[in-house]
Amino acid sequence: MPLKLPEADTSIIEDKKNIVQDLLKITKNIIHAEEEIKPYETDGLSVYRQKPIAVVLPETTEQVSKILKYCHQKKIKVVPRGAGTGLSGGSIPLADCILMGMGKFNKILETDFDNRCVVAQPCVANLAITQAVQHRDFYYAPDPSSQLACSIGGNVAENSGGVHSLKYGTTTNNLMGVEIVLMDGAILKLGGKHLDSEGYDLLGLVTGSEGLLGVVTEVTVRILKKPESVRAVLIGFDSIEDSGNCVADIIAKGIVPAGMEIMDKPLIIATDNYAKAGYPRDVEALLIVELDGTTSEVDTLIEKVLDIAKMNKASYNRASNSDEERMRFWKGRKAAFTACGVLAPDYICMDGSIPRNKLADVLSYISKLSKKYKLDVANCFHAGDGNLHPLIMFDSNDPVEMKKAEDFGADILKYCVKVGGVLSGEHGIGVEKRELMCEMFNDNDIQQQLNIKTAFDSENLLNPGKVFPILHRCAEGGRMHIHKGKDKFPNLPRF
Amino acid sequence: MPDLFLPRTEQEVSDFIFDNCNKSNPIEIIGNGSKKIGRIVQSSQTLSLKSISGILEYFPEELYIKVLPGTPIREIETTLKQKNQFFGFEPNDLGFLYDGQSNPGTIGGVVSCNLSGPGRFKNGALRDHVLGFKAVNGSGAKVKSGGTVVKNVTGYDLSKIISGAYGTLCAITEINLKVSPLPEFEETFLISGIDYDQAIEVFRKALDSSLEISGACFFPESNASFLTLNDVKKDTSVLGLRVQGPKPSVIERIQSLSKMFKDKSVSMLDTYQTAIFWREIKNFEGYSNSDDFVCKVSLPITNMINFLKYFEKTNFKYFLDWGGNIAWCSLENQNDLDQMRIFCLKHDGHLTVLRANDNFRKSEEFLTNSDANLKILSKKLKESFDPKGILNPNKMYAGI
Repeated sequence: MPLKLPEADTSIIEDKKNIVQDLLKITKNIIHAEEEIKPYETDGLSVYRQKPIAVVLPETTEQVSKILKYCHQKKIKVVPRGAGTGLSGGSIPLADCILMGMGKFNKILETDFDNRCVVAQPCVANLAITQAVQHRDFYYAPDPSSQLACSIGGNVAENSGGVHSLKYGTTTNNLMGVEIVLMDGAILKLGGKHLDSEGYDLLGLVTGSEGLLGVVTEVTVRILKKPESVRAVLIGFDSIEDSGNCVADIIAKGIVPAGMEIMDKPLIIATDNYAKAGYPRDVEALLIVELDGTTSEVDTLIEKVLDIAKMNKASYNRASNSDEERMRFWKGRKAAFTACGVLAPDYICMDGSIPRNKLADVLSYISKLSKKYKLDVANCFHAGDGNLHPLIMFDSNDPVEMKKAEDFGADILKYCVKVGGVLSGEHGIGVEKRELMCEMFNDNDIQQQLNIKTAFDSENLLNPGKVFPILHRCAEGGRMHIHKGKDKFPNLPRF
Repeated sequence: MPDLFLPRTEQEVSDFIFDNCNKSNPIEIIGNGSKKIGRIVQSSQTLSLKSISGILEYFPEELYIKVLPGTPIREIETTLKQKNQFFGFEPNDLGFLYDGQSNPGTIGGVVSCNLSGPGRFKNGALRDHVLGFKAVNGSGAKVKSGGTVVKNVTGYDLSKIISGAYGTLCAITEINLKVSPLPEFEETFLISGIDYDQAIEVFRKALDSSLEISGACFFPESNASFLTLNDVKKDTSVLGLRVQGPKPSVIERIQSLSKMFKDKSVSMLDTYQTAIFWREIKNFEGYSNSDDFVCKVSLPITNMINFLKYFEKTNFKYFLDWGGNIAWCSLENQNDLDQMRIFCLKHDGHLTVLRANDNFRKSEEFLTNSDANLKILSKKLKESFDPKGILNPNKMYAGI
């Protein structure tokens, strides 16, 4: 599949031997043989592939700094990579880049219960943080589905969420500090074990910046005490609309559940077949609501939620009475992606976020598109926070079908923006949704973001070709602010 | 006196900044001017956003509100309360610090300062509640970022850096904020007669439990007169733990606290008293009617004990908030303030001056930031929004 990336500098590619020699003076961990590079040519968005010049695997912050400084001086592009599980192609290499794999930064440096935080290297898996503190009943809240494999540094890059972000926030709300190396080699500590740094909130800016502003070399995250009680309810509905209304009513009644997930019928069947979760198979929509807190609080809230469900014409409900049962409720939902993998050779997962009250509208639109493109789709939805994950099924060996799947995905995201939502809730823009940025932003908005990029990386060497559109400008003239016939910023670089 | 410009639309803001950018005229951006925080700005023009005011959208079930920057905090809070909602960051009313009376100011001013109330350690800071915004940058360009949804990774998260930027990057013209359901019920559990070592230990125990404490403060005996409630003792130290939620749950959790701290001298504040107690803390009411410096000392909890020990003999008032992560201090002597700042720098923290006299605000730094790389990056970031440095110049740092 051809993917347009920034034009490769052939002189850099031709200079590979010297570059590798120079980098070997900084670290011995360099992979440059063609066949050994192969595992690094893609990430979680595996339809796109590209080999870098070489893969460098630093072990210390100083090495990261030296490598970046060297590349900055030589004007060599660098693409950072964590666990490579990202779904938007954020760590896909360029032909003339050095891929900086952070895999050797895989240690938890400190579990600090007194300050309720963990200090970890960026390639520690998300789940490993919880595992390191659970013996004292603490946990790390953001829980993306890929938490077994995805790295905490990658979570910072994508501002990853999970099923519990309605109540506990995404990475940005749980991150206390990072150590980051800029493209010119400068090492910065942002935040730390205290709350709220002074000055510009660079920590907030770096979170979700998709590896374009710096390379994270250390992460400090806050940990939370496990709630006394956690229970979940399964609620079935005869229509998607009813499930959406039920979610809105729960929120309107002042209840903030730990998680609220909706699956549509195709996904209920697929996940139940795959995970034997015991879901009702005769409902059109299944809502999982998880509540946590003290035992009496959770029991009271479960009753309230069931009442609200009844008022919204629920046709099925079951509340968990043990942790095993609750885990079984989640087993299907957590296996959603894998279950779809069984249904079709390939799928792409979209990631728009929408206002909750637009759920039925958007799902009915997706259903129309499914007929138009003649491709099957299954939907899961972080209903609490409006994050939609339609899974479009196709066969990547068929180029026509692949193109149709991409267009289908793009149409969904455009519609998400149209109803007041955004292109990505938690997977990031990467290369996948880069050209769709103009659906949300005009030239002024994008230019401001590019100016920030320049402030961090003056030569645009760190992870170029991601996030921002490269094929065209967002608006030709019309949406620019032309004042009295003059371009306001004649001296600013234009993309 | 600088000329005052009171635009009514985003377009007028854009035109005004554009013209002043061409002339390289510095502009001071204000809301209604209630917060005398930051360094004094020397400018020929003042841009007040207070006339760009009003609530544009409020969807309680979507948990967000879209407002114009000059909207009074009072107006927004009243609207939210009608739907049993509130801002989880509990905006501070700084009027007490500067004028001795309530003056919570505008939402634009509150966002620009990124200050948060007692629930910060549980509910997040102000910056965690800003979902999106529109603004005019220092070149006069209208820019926007974010949206109205809580989950969003679509371009850089600029909502974070405009929060707490003190108007040095852009003039905010529209803000989308997350709102939360008001807790149904709340009570405060008090412990008196303990020292700060014991207080930190109480915080640790209470916050390490599953009791979901949403406020945790400590007043030493020397500052107990800060609080005015009759039911709070004034001749001894007092520690407060706020418990919020459904009534049965609050009662159950208060009982758990009673068991947990049965060896201590404990008492309770009811829902009515709880609101007053935490309001006085949030608004620094006990520090009003004085010219003393007021500053925020932010440290890892474990370093806070060392801070209090180190400055035991220094003449200053303080109270701990956010479960011991922060000390709000009041002191007369600038030399002591400097010493505290040095301590914070050495111990993974920072000190921010909230109230100071004009001489200090003209010549001294009110933020601690001293890292050279961070300063270079901050300056570049400022230039990326405001290439000519005309928006609130020098307000955050000298030269930025």
